Amino acid sequence: MTIAEQGDASRLPWADGVYSIKRHGTSLTNCDSEPVQAPGCIQSHGALVTARLSDLTILQVSENSEQYLGAVPERLLGQPLGNVISSEHEIRLRSMIENDSIEGNALFAFTHPARADMAPLDVCVHTMSGVLILEFESSSRGADPLLHPAGDFFTSVRAAVTRMQSTTGQLAFCDRIAREVRTITGLDRVMVYRFHADNHGEVVAESKLDELAPWLGLHYPEADIPKPARDIYQRIWIRPVPNAAGPLIELVPLANPDTGKPLTMTYCSLRGASVMYTEYLANMGVGASLTMPILIEGELWGLIACHHRQPTAFPHQMRAACELLAQVASLQLKSSDRIESLEYGLKVEQIHQELVAKAAREGDLLALSDRQPSLLDAMDADGAALYHMDRWWTAGRTPSEEQLDALADWVNLRPEFLSLTRPVFATDMLSREYPEGAGIRDVASGVIAVQVSRLRRDLIMWFRPETIQTVKWAGHPDDKPLVPGPNGMRLTPRRSFELFVESVRNRSLPWTMLEIDAALRLRLLIMDLATSEGERISELNVDLTSSNEELDAFAYVASHDLKEPLRGIHRYAHQLLESADTIGALNRGRMESLMRLTLRMDSLLDSLLHYSRVGRTNLEFEAVDLNDAVADALEMVGVRRHPSDVGVVFERPLPTVLCDLVRVREIFSNLISNALKYNRDPHPRIEVGYLRPDEPGPRPNMPAEALGETIYYVRDNGIGIEARHHEQIFRMFKRLHGRDEFGGGVGAGLTVVKKVVSRHGGHVWLDSTLNHGTTFFFTLPSLAQPNRNRE
Amino acid sequence: MSRTDHVLVVEDNDDDFETVTEAVRRAGITNQLRRAVSGTECVEMLVELLERGSTLPALVLLDLNTPNADGRDALLQIRANSNLAVIPLVVISASANPRDITTAYSNGANAYHIKPVNHATHLEILQTIFTYWINQAVLPTHRSLSR
Repeated sequence: MTIAEQGDASRLPWADGVYSIKRHGTSLTNCDSEPVQAPGCIQSHGALVTARLSDLTILQVSENSEQYLGAVPERLLGQPLGNVISSEHEIRLRSMIENDSIEGNALFAFTHPARADMAPLDVCVHTMSGVLILEFESSSRGADPLLHPAGDFFTSVRAAVTRMQSTTGQLAFCDRIAREVRTITGLDRVMVYRFHADNHGEVVAESKLDELAPWLGLHYPEADIPKPARDIYQRIWIRPVPNAAGPLIELVPLANPDTGKPLTMTYCSLRGASVMYTEYLANMGVGASLTMPILIEGELWGLIACHHRQPTAFPHQMRAACELLAQVASLQLKSSDRIESLEYGLKVEQIHQELVAKAAREGDLLALSDRQPSLLDAMDADGAALYHMDRWWTAGRTPSEEQLDALADWVNLRPEFLSLTRPVFATDMLSREYPEGAGIRDVASGVIAVQVSRLRRDLIMWFRPETIQTVKWAGHPDDKPLVPGPNGMRLTPRRSFELFVESVRNRSLPWTMLEIDAALRLRLLIMDLATSEGERISELNVDLTSSNEELDAFAYVASHDLKEPLRGIHRYAHQLLESADTIGALNRGRMESLMRLTLRMDSLLDSLLHYSRVGRTNLEFEAVDLNDAVADALEMVGVRRHPSDVGVVFERPLPTVLCDLVRVREIFSNLISNALKYNRDPHPRIEVGYLRPDEPGPRPNMPAEALGETIYYVRDNGIGIEARHHEQIFRMFKRLHGRDEFGGGVGAGLTVVKKVVSRHGGHVWLDSTLNHGTTFFFTLPSLAQPNRNRE
Repeated sequence: MSRTDHVLVVEDNDDDFETVTEAVRRAGITNQLRRAVSGTECVEMLVELLERGSTLPALVLLDLNTPNADGRDALLQIRANSNLAVIPLVVISASANPRDITTAYSNGANAYHIKPVNHATHLEILQTIFTYWINQAVLPTHRSLSR
């Protein structure tokens, strides 16, 4: 299969054949679509020959073969490899194929003898999917005066490694790497380039010629080292481009004649460099580059990037030395990276502990708003805000109080806060979920938020600004004027910066797992503090908890023990009625009353037990669609079964509210069942609806405390309630009617409604005229006032 | 076990045991009824049956709140003994505490019923239990095990 057959390749310029950078490279507009691993070309400082692995017949030859091997490609193709190399070297090659693992692993094989006007050539060899690949390169740096005396690389590497191992601290270590690599290579500039979590890079160490402008501390957008290039660096240890401006040499033929496929050149050091890359180098005034990856656990941590103003050569031995240094650097950074994040974690934890300890001493969370130490000394953030005692306390750069209010209203509703294990909201692009976030991107593109008291809506938030504003970006228009390249501004650092600015608008540096964990941990520390806020309160809390549990057990035992004799009384009455041969009508009536009374006592006990539990068990808050709650309630009271008798009217669908579904369903089932029960109208009618605080509409008898809340109501056309009874009806076991009128009942329903509403922080009241129906109103602020934004 | 084997009722309250007897009669169940008045006695009776190689009950009806090692412990001990673990075990208790209900099921009770105050309902529940477990449910046959 050719590349043209893959996916949507039809839109690519090489759609009708195999890709070659030489032919198609300059028309590319998107780095991520470039087949960098199969560029169809090599660099000009060597020659490449491929042979069929099974019989060592030559398949492809670079078009410059005459220059290095003394024969044009046409004379070599289809010939045995033995025509190019000596029989002694062919034996060596066969032995390597047999014994060494050279699949995707280029090894030095032998030195091809010098010809008339040519220096000897180093030959590296590897195999790739049934193809043998030989790379011929000059073994010396010729007459380059800047040359490192190609001396004993082994000794220099050993000394370098010893020095590297004796440095402490990550930055010092990176600095040491840069210096050692520069000593060994003699190149103009060596940088250690580190990738951040969002793949943009930063120069963290640099060793260079004095006259060059320093690039240390500059950040480079992700697009400067696109993904295909980053992928390759997870597989190879070195990438030499000794002459960035050199011509590209195409393979003849471009595709493997056996398979029709392009040659995968991932492991070839001669692999042709992307035009995007060489142009970029040229625009920076770089003539040669050498790059080594730093890998930590298979992940690309960074690069050792070397630049030289003039084209140069990277002999095989020097490359081997650099590879080794990169590997040592990878191993050593792995442990130092771990230590560094461990140290950061410890520092954050220590400061957080200190803050909380202070808050504990002072008996107030306000210690968190202190300057010394401050919330900002721990986490790597630019601003922090604490909402406590109904106001904001801030440190560093934060949004304005109005903006914080709006953000808090939104963030308090985040589903993340309902998580039992990780109740934290973290983002590096606030505006993605919160459109108003675009307005505060200069201070709060990145946010971590934790609730430290759900009840009082206390919050802690940390902020990071848009990355673009905080770091020194290479290619930033303010830095220096830059000349356009041969293809215009396309691939200059300036252009890449402009593209980049678009792609990272509204984004901050991402939060690390360590930072998110630290926020969660601080929340726990504070919540511990809150529960033990002052010895007394904490003890009271413990007492209260245990007495709640005892009360719960007591209620069950009491109801159980009280029911035991009731069961006996009921049974004896039952048996008497059944077995007595003759019993007068009067006595039969008395016996039946006795049984009815025991059953009534039974349901009174059940109601009492239920009420005591409603008052004490924890509510479970979740986002509840009230339409579902009402539908369930209607089913519970059996309205569905007689749809023709009862009209249930919804003016409009109800909103979704943060509340305890089971309990709120109970509110509706009690109110609806009362509306039906106390109704003599041949066409009972129930209306369920709500009024938002900003909506006009009558709110009779509304208590002042319900101001600003959404009001829910259940209205009926029933018998109504006299005004003088309005207060009493919420009392336990209070009934306004005869025991057996209106279907009986123990008189606990409204008491439970009132309890459930007040446990949601709301109020319940009514409006009623005798014989003209009743409307019950209630509010469900549920502590987070969710319905304000959700509608 | 088979559906003609005896039924073991663990009940300390004489009135309630009488209700059980009445329900068995009404359900038309002819199985022999044996009674234990505490959880301890129940476990002792079952262990003795095992030791003698006698037939195990087809069903154990267990009241949770009996004296001594009460019904909760009996349930645990029966389920911990691999030879007794297969006996169908139905709890009937005056306790409506959700904790008791959960514990009973997680300790291996096959069903949990609450004793109602209403005598007629009480009889009805017991009748249903016997009809279901003795006449309808398929019971394990572990005669060989008990030998």
